[in-house]
Amino acid sequence: MKDDNFEERLRRQPLRPIPSEWRGEILGAARAAASSSRQPASTSWWLEWLWPCPRAWAGLAAAWIVILALQYQTPPPRKAEAKDHANDQPSKTMAIEERRRELFEVLDLLSPTAATAPAKPPAPRPRGQARSETAAA
Amino acid sequence: MAAPLQLDRLYDDHAQAIFALLMNLTRSEADTRDILQELFIKLARSPGLLNGVRDERAFLLRLAHNLAIDQIRRRLTREKNCQSLADDLDSAFAVSGHPDESAFRLALAEALAELPAEQRAVVHLKLWEGMTFEEIASALALSVNTAASRFRYGLDKLRARLRPLYDEIK
Repeated sequence: MKDDNFEERLRRQPLRPIPSEWRGEILGAARAAASSSRQPASTSWWLEWLWPCPRAWAGLAAAWIVILALQYQTPPPRKAEAKDHANDQPSKTMAIEERRRELFEVLDLLSPTAATAPAKPPAPRPRGQARSETAAA
Repeated sequence: MAAPLQLDRLYDDHAQAIFALLMNLTRSEADTRDILQELFIKLARSPGLLNGVRDERAFLLRLAHNLAIDQIRRRLTREKNCQSLADDLDSAFAVSGHPDESAFRLALAEALAELPAEQRAVVHLKLWEGMTFEEIASALALSVNTAASRFRYGLDKLRARLRPLYDEIK
C-alpha cells in the first residue's frame, strides 16, 4: 500500500458537518455568559481600585504586620522613667491649685458683694514715692 | 465583550473545523458540544483574546485542542477505563450510503480512537485541515520535528490497523 495513496484515501474521507442547530444555541449561550459576567457599577469601582495591583496591597499589608509585630516586641518603659513621670504629678497638681486660687480671687473681686465690702486699706507705697509727694506738697 | 457580529463571523468561519478536530479528539458529540460552547463563551468574555493574532484558525484550534485534552484527562480520571471510551464512539466522519465506504470510515474512526490524543490531533490537522508541520507545531506548541514524528507514528499505526480493509476495498 503506497503511502501517498493511503494518505490520499484518508484525506478524502468527508468529515461530519456540525449540526446546524448548534449555532444559535452556542452563540446565545456565549452572549448570555458575557452579559452575566459584567460586574454591576456599584460594586465594581472598588474592585477596579483594588484588584489591578493586588501585590501592592499585599505588600502594604505585610509591612503593617511587621510594624505591629515590632511594636509589640519593644520592651516596656523603664521603672525610673515611670517614677520620674510619677514625680511630676504633684508639682503639676500644685500649679493647678495655685491657678484655681487666683481665679477664685479674681471672681471674688468681680462679684457684687465685693463692691459693698469695706475698702481695703491702700497698699503701702514705696518710700521713694511717698518722699517725693511730701516734697511736692 | 466582542461585538456580536464578530462572534457570528468567528463561528461561521471556524466552527466546522473546530468541531471536526474536537470530534476526532473526544469521539463524543456531547463533549464536543460542551467544549465548543466553552470556547465561544471564553471568546465572548475576553474580546481581546484575538488581538494581534495573525492566524485565527490556528489559534482557535489550539484553544480547542487544549480544552479537549483537559476534558479527556478529566474523563480518564473519572472513569479510569480507556476501553469504555473506545466503545462509546461518535465518529468524526460523515455517514456514507455505500457499505464499503461506511465500513472503511467506521474502521478509520476506531483506528483513530486507538491513537494517543496527541498523535490523533497531529494526524487530523495534517490530513483534514491541510496544515503544514510548521503550522501544526505552532498551533499545538510543539517543535516541527515532534509534529512530524507524531504524524509518522500515527499514520503507521493507522496503516497497520486498516491495511486488510484497505486492500480489500481498494
